[in-house]
Amino acid sequence: MTELLDVILGGTFHAAVLFLVAAGLQLVFGVQKIVNLACGSFYALGAYFGITAVGAAIKLGMPPALFLPLLVVAGLLVGLVGLPIERVLRTVYRRDESYQLLITFGFLLMFQDTFRYLWGATPRTMDNVYLAYGTAHFLGIRVPTYNLLVIAASLAIAAILGLFLERTRTGRIVRATAENRDMAEGLGVNASKVFALVFTVGCMLGTVGGALVVPSSAASLDMAVDLVVESFAVVVIGGLGSMRGALVGALIVGLMRALAISLMPEMEMLSVYLVVVAVLILRPAGLFGKAAV
Amino acid sequence: MSHSSIEIAPPATLRRTMSLNGIGVLLALIVVMALLPFVASPYVLLLMLPFVGYGIALLGFNLLFGTTGLLSFGHALFLGVGAYTAAVFTSKLSILSFEIILVVSALLSGLIALLIGALCVRYTKIFFGMLTLAFGMLFHSFLYKFYAVTGGDQGMRVLRPLLLGMEWRGGKTAFLTGPFYYYTLVLFAGMGLAMWRITQSPFGLHLRAIRENAGKAAYVGVEIFRMRLSAFVISAIYGGIGGVILAVTTGLADPELAYWTHSGNLVFMAVLGGSGTFAGPAIGALAFVMLQDFVMAITQYWRFVMGGILVLLVVFMPRGLAGTVELLLSRRGREA
Amino acid sequence: MKLTRRDFSRFAGSTALVAAAPQIFAPALAQERPLRLGILAPRSGVAGTAGECGIRAVQWAAERMNKGGGIAGRKIELVIEEETNPKDTIERFRRLILQEKVEAVHGLISTGVSLGVAPVAEEEQALLVMWDGTTQDGVKETMPKPRYVFRSTDNECEAVMGSLLAIKYFKGKFKRVAGINPDYSYGRNNWEAFRQILARYGIAAEFVAEQWPKVGTMDLTSHIAALNAAKPDLIFSSMLFADLPVFMKQGNAAGLFENAKLVLPAAGWQINQLKKEFMPEGIIFGHNTLYFDHPQASELQKAFVDDYKDRYREVPHWEADRAYFALATYKAGVEAAQKAAGKWPTAEQVAEAMPGLEVESLGGKGRFRKDKIAEQVFYQGPSTNNNKYDFPTLASIDTFQAEQLQKPPGADFWEWIKTAKMPV
Repeated sequence: MTELLDVILGGTFHAAVLFLVAAGLQLVFGVQKIVNLACGSFYALGAYFGITAVGAAIKLGMPPALFLPLLVVAGLLVGLVGLPIERVLRTVYRRDESYQLLITFGFLLMFQDTFRYLWGATPRTMDNVYLAYGTAHFLGIRVPTYNLLVIAASLAIAAILGLFLERTRTGRIVRATAENRDMAEGLGVNASKVFALVFTVGCMLGTVGGALVVPSSAASLDMAVDLVVESFAVVVIGGLGSMRGALVGALIVGLMRALAISLMPEMEMLSVYLVVVAVLILRPAGLFGKAAV
Repeated sequence: MSHSSIEIAPPATLRRTMSLNGIGVLLALIVVMALLPFVASPYVLLLMLPFVGYGIALLGFNLLFGTTGLLSFGHALFLGVGAYTAAVFTSKLSILSFEIILVVSALLSGLIALLIGALCVRYTKIFFGMLTLAFGMLFHSFLYKFYAVTGGDQGMRVLRPLLLGMEWRGGKTAFLTGPFYYYTLVLFAGMGLAMWRITQSPFGLHLRAIRENAGKAAYVGVEIFRMRLSAFVISAIYGGIGGVILAVTTGLADPELAYWTHSGNLVFMAVLGGSGTFAGPAIGALAFVMLQDFVMAITQYWRFVMGGILVLLVVFMPRGLAGTVELLLSRRGREA
Repeated sequence: MKLTRRDFSRFAGSTALVAAAPQIFAPALAQERPLRLGILAPRSGVAGTAGECGIRAVQWAAERMNKGGGIAGRKIELVIEEETNPKDTIERFRRLILQEKVEAVHGLISTGVSLGVAPVAEEEQALLVMWDGTTQDGVKETMPKPRYVFRSTDNECEAVMGSLLAIKYFKGKFKRVAGINPDYSYGRNNWEAFRQILARYGIAAEFVAEQWPKVGTMDLTSHIAALNAAKPDLIFSSMLFADLPVFMKQGNAAGLFENAKLVLPAAGWQINQLKKEFMPEGIIFGHNTLYFDHPQASELQKAFVDDYKDRYREVPHWEADRAYFALATYKAGVEAAQKAAGKWPTAEQVAEAMPGLEVESLGGKGRFRKDKIAEQVFYQGPSTNNNKYDFPTLASIDTFQAEQLQKPPGADFWEWIKTAKMPV
């Protein structure tokens, strides 16, 4: 029993991380029809910047318990990098979607070397904060409270996003622009502002995700490239453009991986691919996606 | 001008001339390559071999991207299939005939494409791109994991093959810059001609119709799924053969050949050269190979430079090198 | 982008120059021309940090040697290229040899890449001294009798030493053994070596869990949960990339190390990231050929470590020693061959001179065997957090020579494990 709970918690933690990256992907795709290959790079950016921010704050005397909100703030701040990048993307909005994909690939390459230049090739870790919130003991297992906080934060972000899109006026405008940009513009919506907002929020989802996760792991140069594959699997399973799909897809990938690790360690990554293929055969648009895009 | 009441549009001879230039440009490029050994150093010649491999793979890639409008981010999968076929045949089965390796690579790539394509070609650009990326990485994981068969991260050796049954008794470099160089150029020319025929055929026309407007094409009776799948299979065959050439040049088949960023490089090459023209991708391959060689030598931050070039390319010169040249020439033609 | 006529004539000219009896021109000009040395090391990706350490070390070494007159009077000039994947690295290697015209190439850390580059070096008759990256499989076919390729110590040395020390310090204290190793040739071979050594010493242990995380995995919570469920007394891990500090951090938080002893033969690579706060005491910690805090370190090592700490604010690990060793033995080989030949030696002459010459490397004395495989000194020991650093040091140091840890020339590694005389 304790082992099953351990497995589920581990899988959920991984899913929480994946969700944040995938949500950024889904938001940007849903509204702008752009697939951001650099989604992993924003995640890495958040991770590296979070380490620097917390390190500096602790040197300046900040109490360690405050580091979680600090990470969120750091993530939001560095997510603003999305604004100039969106400006560049804007030049190709009206063109073939493939070109947008290519620009984001170009950005991914540029980010790789930017990380190396700014933070070096050595993996970076955040010291002394992971266990600042202590460990929780329940049902025979032991888990750092921080992990639970990350899962909670992910859910909170999911909820906030959902509420934003469904209930607020801006959210409705965003959804309208997603459905039909020209119509929305015709009705007086400033589509450029909407796109800038959406893209930046999408980036922030990634950067906040990276910042939140890094205390429990590390920031390294290859994380951006590796993460793209897993987040794509999440999006394919969940359905392109759907937030619910991101949540469910992330859970499926996280739990499948955790189960595979405990039962058949060799099948770790292959199990995720199997699910992808199965979804493609049985429900081609993904679990929550609209029919064949 | 005409004294009849009906103006008959003049025949589109100008367009056809431009299209004919496509195969012409490619053949001219190949002729230049053929003359290269008389003036260039062995290093430059060795650099040209990956260009030929990539050129062939890109001919196939562009059938999919330029002609049919499907962006594949997993084309490197077929490079890997070709490479590992060469490795298995030369080092595990001791079958050294280059011709047999080429044929088997083509068949295997085509078969795998049939399976994957059946799942993927229902979708258009972005989703297709994501799916092909995922399948490419699935293949990469497979190569890495099943190390007993594939050698895992250490890869598998590719021994020197026999060309037309003949063995080369000299050194590897002399082999690569001599008979192998010319053999692959001839192969390139042949496959280029074949691709030219394909793009100019009714099949090619159907593909272009699908790219322009899939709905309309379906209405007119074009079988979208079958056409796209056929294009995918053909592109895979070209990819496999390109992979064989790469593997023989390197001497090793390793999983990184199938990594998705390698597919990304292929797309980079196609866009650099210009996916709207026939010879564009091949020119892109040449430009990319030389550009990367140059940039890697002058800075350690070459990824940043290459990424920046890609971004600038897409923003300012989306037609690529060949496409922009063609545009300028046609403008001048019209003015004249 | 087309080749211009100027490029053609330049290529043609250089080709002609190379073709025309280099022996005639070389000695006259040799004394004035710098000695160009190619360096091939990773700078990005999982092994980027190791490559960076090696590059820093070889730069330091070259600077130092140049102050002393260089190699046989010629100043060393380093030409650095990046090691990426086998195909691209082979191209950079060819560029270094054919275009940049370096006299030798040092470097290479990844196994797959070294297996690919070695045959090319033999073909081009170019001297290649590898820093790392050689495991057992595939080597027999690719490099049966190398003439120009020098290989580092076997990659399994640290695993052999770690296993022996596990027996020395923990014998009788463990019954349930678990392993978590990176899923590639290095991880697999290290784990297998550990298992075989335990079997050889007749240790009755139950292997309760085996995890194979993908190289560089950043989230190991599920793997740790699986290990926890198996309740091991001893955990063996040859992880050495960014995944190692992540494993330690997450494992510590999950209480994995409370009842389990740890053997980490390759931990030295990540020393700067393995912070005391999550490292338990008494880990069998491997520093391979360079232990930065050795109390009896040579003046050379002390100078290097101090300079490195000053410039880079972190401590060096064994890749630095490998890079230094390669340059030091090369220098010794060139100088010996030059004395013997009376003029500047060819690559072949240097390759013949190098085996057997003993040099003082950062970590200790080392040399190349006749079969061109290195022999160096290895340092591991139980760790302690009682020091002035952020990371653990060794409470006591066990020192083994490579002869005790790697197979003799011509032998098969797996056969040798079963029958060799072991130092424990």
